[in-house]
Amino acid sequence: MSFVAAQILNGIATGMLYALMGLGLSLITGILNIPNFAHGALFAVGAYLLATVAVAIGNFWIALLVAPLGVALLGLAIEYVGIRRLYAAGHDYQLLFTFGLALIISESIILIWGPIGSSYLPPEVLRGGADLGFTMYPKYRLFVMLAAGLLVFATWLFLEKTRYGAIMRAGIENKEMVSLLGIDIKMLFTVAFALGAYLAGIAGALIAPIRGLNPSMGVDMLGIAFVVVALGGLGNLLGAIAAGLIIGVAQALVAAYWTEASTVVIYAVMAVVLLVRPQGLFGIR
Amino acid sequence: MSKLSRRDVLKFGAGAAAGLGFPSIVRAQSKEIVILGLWDQTGAFADVGPINDRGMKMALEERGMQILGRPIKYITRDGATQAGTSTRRTEEAVDGDGAKFVIGPWSSGVALAVSEVAKRKKVVHLFSGGTEDISGARCHRYSFQWAASPYTAAKTVVDSFMKANPKAKRWHLLVADYAFGWSVEKYVKEVGKTHGIEFVGADRHPLGEREFSNYVQKAAANKPDAVAMINFGGDAVAGAREIYNFGLTPKVPLIMTWSSGVEELVQLSPEIRQNIWVGSNFYYTADTPGAKEFVKNYTAKFGNPPGYAPSAAYSMTRLLLAGFDKAKSAEVQDVIRALEGIEVNDIVGRMRMDAATHQNIRPYFFMRCKSKDAMKHATDFADIIATGDTPLPKEYGACKDIGGF
Amino acid sequence: MKRPFILIMVAIFLLPLAVRPAIASEIWIFAIFGLGLNLLLGYTGLLSFGQSTFFGSAAYVAGWLMKIHGVNAFLALGIGVGVGAASAAVVGYLCVQRSGLYFIMLTFALNQLFYFTAYQWTSVTGGEDGMPGVPRPALLGIDFKDPLIYYAFVSLLFLFCLWLMKRIVESPLGKILQAIRENEVRAEAVGYNVPRFKLLAFVIGGAFSGLAGVLYAMLFGIVPLEAISFVFSGNVVFATLIGGSGSLYGPVIGSFVFIWLSESMSTVWARWPLLLGMAFVIVVLFLRGGVVEAWHKLSLKFFLRK
Repeated sequence: MSFVAAQILNGIATGMLYALMGLGLSLITGILNIPNFAHGALFAVGAYLLATVAVAIGNFWIALLVAPLGVALLGLAIEYVGIRRLYAAGHDYQLLFTFGLALIISESIILIWGPIGSSYLPPEVLRGGADLGFTMYPKYRLFVMLAAGLLVFATWLFLEKTRYGAIMRAGIENKEMVSLLGIDIKMLFTVAFALGAYLAGIAGALIAPIRGLNPSMGVDMLGIAFVVVALGGLGNLLGAIAAGLIIGVAQALVAAYWTEASTVVIYAVMAVVLLVRPQGLFGIR
Repeated sequence: MSKLSRRDVLKFGAGAAAGLGFPSIVRAQSKEIVILGLWDQTGAFADVGPINDRGMKMALEERGMQILGRPIKYITRDGATQAGTSTRRTEEAVDGDGAKFVIGPWSSGVALAVSEVAKRKKVVHLFSGGTEDISGARCHRYSFQWAASPYTAAKTVVDSFMKANPKAKRWHLLVADYAFGWSVEKYVKEVGKTHGIEFVGADRHPLGEREFSNYVQKAAANKPDAVAMINFGGDAVAGAREIYNFGLTPKVPLIMTWSSGVEELVQLSPEIRQNIWVGSNFYYTADTPGAKEFVKNYTAKFGNPPGYAPSAAYSMTRLLLAGFDKAKSAEVQDVIRALEGIEVNDIVGRMRMDAATHQNIRPYFFMRCKSKDAMKHATDFADIIATGDTPLPKEYGACKDIGGF
Repeated sequence: MKRPFILIMVAIFLLPLAVRPAIASEIWIFAIFGLGLNLLLGYTGLLSFGQSTFFGSAAYVAGWLMKIHGVNAFLALGIGVGVGAASAAVVGYLCVQRSGLYFIMLTFALNQLFYFTAYQWTSVTGGEDGMPGVPRPALLGIDFKDPLIYYAFVSLLFLFCLWLMKRIVESPLGKILQAIRENEVRAEAVGYNVPRFKLLAFVIGGAFSGLAGVLYAMLFGIVPLEAISFVFSGNVVFATLIGGSGSLYGPVIGSFVFIWLSESMSTVWARWPLLLGMAFVIVVLFLRGGVVEAWHKLSLKFFLRK
């Protein structure tokens, strides 16, 4: 029994990161109605920036603050230069553009940091395991679970309780109305994309000490982010959070009993949900 | 600028034309011997291709880019770690550039596909990797396997590890779910039986898995005496890192059964490497005259010691050149006959290419990683603690007939 | 109409002089694949991100039958078309109920399911190693082992496909599909059964993809796992968009540009995907409508200057 509990705990930890990725992507797809294929590449940039900054200044915590901001800046630039011109275009060109971006970013990572991956260890205080009674669990993963949980909660608070968040949610529901209210919709889109990029970046930064650095690390995460978005419902932010957790736990449990299937299962779930409940598991639309 | 001769301009023009995809204009001169290095620059092994290329170039440059008094033309193509792209580019190099000798690629699955091209196009193909099919069920006259047989590897690793840790009888296996993983797993279990090892778990993960926590937690729950991974490259690195994160290593030893050595170890930090035991086709401290010379030159040139990837490319190229020397000919059939049964003393030690199966019979290395304090320099990862060269027993051999030309 | 046709004929004759027959053949095979996709993408307005499902399924089934049962080329191609159409019917039936991003994601998810099935079913597909040993059987006494003869055969089939697709898009069916693309609600209101027509577009597109898949397997003698991966699905979409999805000839030009570009760039610079990515970005920002559109603009400018 303690084994199952441990797997579920681990599923929640991984699921929190999936939720962060999914939340960012859901924000972008929901408000901008753009399938952002560069989301995985932004995630990878977050990881690389964290390790680079942390090694340069010798402080993990400052790096954890700085790295995602760097990714958000990159997102801002991308939106300003390119994405902005794509709102009226079809999904096809949006896809071509964001995929092109993903190629450019991941190849640039190779050019800047080299093709060979590396490891970056957690800060000293978070190394090793903590005894939870039913299992030994890495301290750093507990920290990630907490940090990601807090971030998810903060994002939710921002969207639910602040004026700007309310505008964003309104932007998902009805764009015309938002612009009729005299709100700069362009600005809203820019902020939404940057926020989405920030969330991808911080997911990457948090994961760097777990998965290390590799130029292709974003590819695998991109697929999962889309699964989370589909499961939670496009633009459904609470749904994305729940879906991230569900995917994390489901993967952990399937891996416990039938390891070969742990990847295929998530796509099967995605297909079924899209077929049966296209609004997502938690959608009301 | 005026120094540019007409010849240079012509050469540049021809090169540019080749680059632009009009290579049929520049037909290979008949005197040249064209050798293709099929190395991945993109895809899963994008990090390996460039260093494969280094090793191959070094071997050719040693001979002044010449063999049998004829110039060697070395061409390299990006196989993209994909079977379709690799077979296509191999065919193009054979048809268009006149390549009759192919070395690579790095992925065993892709190499099997390239091996089919070699058979169809009747060109010599040398390869190093974890599949046993090239010298087994799908053996044929044109392909040669440089890497040790998975049996040799399993035998060396299990025997040597048990000698050092006789009490570690409960093993948990973590196996990459494709042909390479399965064949090594089979032999590890086979050899394990002779030591009375109990395999308390054996989980398979898809190729390219990046979230190992679930597998590792499962392994931890089994409370094994040792964890053995049978995977390669990025999978092995991700797995080893997570096994450390979950606190299995350094308490529980981790065995990387079929590792690329330097290329994987450099991606792990010294903390993660504690109590890791590594089986590999090459390690740069190998005590052979060939290795000493090669490692010295390589390190001088590139600033770090060579791992399995450049070394395999280097040694395969040397093997091919030795075949030319022995055959005194650059005809495909002559070279194949010469390579069959050839014996050389190269960087890994004594090697013999088995004529009946085209399997290289050669030593396999087993290392133990050093602690941070014991490391003399940044790339002083491990000590070789054993080598072994027990060939695959006849009854397991799947290559019944190597066939004709 | 006449001019593009003449240009294509010239290209068919000149291509093998410029590039090797294998690449030349692949360009036309990929063009057939693109033609099938563009019926969905360009004419019906459905962005399918799972076309390799049909391409790959047909390649595996027909390749296996040729390899194990010695099925002849003619039958194999027919079976490929059938498998492509049938798999597209299943996928299409499920997908046409959805639209927009949901549709794209569903085609992608189903593609992934097919991919993992092929990955796991190693006894047939060879999994990661791919399914090698696909023969290139002779047809009516013609030996296809000669690369140039096979190229000629592929070119002929391509011309046939192009002619057929032209007939389809100019037929009433083609007009209905375009009406659906322009305004789905109106098409429905006029009395067309929109989902059924979309499904039909899927099936036809799948048949073209299936044909391309079998030709691909015969060309390289192998069905690699990536033939059923989302990477292939993406490539055909990207190639078509580069060529221009608004035109019948867009996917043909796109296939030419995409394969030729990536082949020639890859021998020049190892980091060529960077250039490819830039090309994508440039097309989206400045050349929407692809090469076809750029050509029109250019010739229009030229014409006006006169």
